[in-house]
Amino acid sequence: MKTKTHVWDVIILLLIAAFLILPLALTFFYSVFTQWTDILPTGFTLSFYAGIFSDGAFINSLLRSIIISFVPVVICTISILLVLYVITLYVPKMEKYIEILCNIPYAIQGVILAAGVISLYSGKPGFLSNRIFLLVGAYCIIILPYVFRGLKNTIGALNVQCVIEAAQVLGCSKFHAFFSIVIPQMKRGIVSTMMLAFTMLFADFVVVNMIAGSSFRTAGIYLYQTMSKSGQTSSAIIVILFITTLIISTLTMIIQNKQTVKGRKS
Amino acid sequence: MSYIEFRGICKSYDGVNQVLKNIDLNIEKGELVTLLGPSGCGKSTLLRSLAGLEEISSGKIILDGEDITNLPVQKRGIGMVFQQYSLFQNMNVEDNIAFGLKIAKVDKLVISDKVKRAIEMVDLVGKEKSYPSQLSGGQQQRVAIARAIVMEPKVLLLDEPLSAIDAKLRRELQEKIKHVQKKLKITTIFVTHDQDEAMIMSDRIHLMNQGIIEQSGRPVDLYTHPVSKFAAEFIGHYNILDKRKLNILLPFEKFDDGFYAIRPETVHIQSEPIMDDGMYVFEATVENVISRGNVLRYTLRCGDVCFTSEVLFRSFALFEEGQKVCVGIEPHNVLPIRD
Repeated sequence: MKTKTHVWDVIILLLIAAFLILPLALTFFYSVFTQWTDILPTGFTLSFYAGIFSDGAFINSLLRSIIISFVPVVICTISILLVLYVITLYVPKMEKYIEILCNIPYAIQGVILAAGVISLYSGKPGFLSNRIFLLVGAYCIIILPYVFRGLKNTIGALNVQCVIEAAQVLGCSKFHAFFSIVIPQMKRGIVSTMMLAFTMLFADFVVVNMIAGSSFRTAGIYLYQTMSKSGQTSSAIIVILFITTLIISTLTMIIQNKQTVKGRKS
Repeated sequence: MSYIEFRGICKSYDGVNQVLKNIDLNIEKGELVTLLGPSGCGKSTLLRSLAGLEEISSGKIILDGEDITNLPVQKRGIGMVFQQYSLFQNMNVEDNIAFGLKIAKVDKLVISDKVKRAIEMVDLVGKEKSYPSQLSGGQQQRVAIARAIVMEPKVLLLDEPLSAIDAKLRRELQEKIKHVQKKLKITTIFVTHDQDEAMIMSDRIHLMNQGIIEQSGRPVDLYTHPVSKFAAEFIGHYNILDKRKLNILLPFEKFDDGFYAIRPETVHIQSEPIMDDGMYVFEATVENVISRGNVLRYTLRCGDVCFTSEVLFRSFALFEEGQKVCVGIEPHNVLPIRD
């Protein structure tokens, strides 16, 4: 049955699209003109972008952002997969308790978390007081509920118990079956969850600023420091960060789709 | 000594309610036996106990002379096909079938040869590179069967493998399973709640009810000589009548206390009086007629007793609702059964 599209539906969609795209578009326009004091901007230039890319500090901060966002996502994903392995196959009754534990970070704001982490660990001997370690740990906590929810939903869509039993009957151990059969089936869900968590951390400023500050200059910190100097440059940085996220997520999707198509063809 | 022996098998999940109650069961080599029974009777639990997927509370399981009660599932040498197919969605047909052989570290050339033969046996040639999501339900179940038989298991267990498949395909797969079983001579245990399927498939049927084996025997024996009310109702849709009801139908005959089972197809009806001294004869009224394709099922009433008669659908022998008919039952078809 063909659904009739109403004019109002289109208008609402356009309004939402405008609401989402307009700030980004204006930020972009602001970054490619020297002046915007009248209705229309004047003095088209790409010098702000050229300036950013010629500054090695920005590239470094961008790479730091990517790494510091990626590492906690990997750690958290592997940890949650192991937890899901245990609770799915050995102690299903524990699932609700694990879920409650994993949901606690929902209620903790970034500022509170950062302050708590610093007050608890700063001054402690060894690696515990290392700011990078603290940041990775704090990030793992922040993304924990999202990663748990994403992976749990993915695994919930599979008939894990039955697939594992089928593999066991064929001579395979539970552990091997989980990682060679169940995890590959969860690939799409895992990648989507990791992307969501990654973009959350990539956009962070509050936690990294409080925990690491200038000792670990990420793109967020770089942006913050640039904001007081030049509005156009900071707009250009925002656009670059947006495009970076877009490229990473698009590349991930393309690789994922290619693997699927390759698998189907082979 | 039988090939498979279940000795005093008990199973309880909560320590109070017993799912399996002291089951003793022997299965001979090369047989295709069916565990038949309603949902929750313990048939799948018994099957899973043999596979090693369920731990039994007490008892012993002997397979080919070896006590496998405490043997891990991976080492039992048993093949199993599940109701939900349980195929590995990330692998194609070939890889699914080869999975167990790869785990067993069988030589690649041998794997390739065995997989090819298994694919041919289940008629899936040309589908080797397809993924489970690209196959129909019937094809998926055939992959599951091939995956199980390629391991050359000591026993093949089929846990309601056809219940998610439509009727036409189910008939085809029933024949395919039987064909494969006979060809490979694998001892096979088939679990189903469908009595027709059990009749078609089995060399022997073990009818289960509430954690016990209610009756065992060849399909024809179970059908013609049910020992209990449950067996009679479950296997053949028997008319179950007690002494009081039988005396209403046949006031001049003498029956012992207890229950009696009469197969609907042994209840003859006709409009003219039945002249046969060897038969129990009485009159009844047709209350309802249901057509089941080639069979007509008549619900008949005599006093307050209702019972059914099934006759082959022939255009010249139709009775209408409300019509008086003569009923004849041969005495040997009135079977005494236990409650």
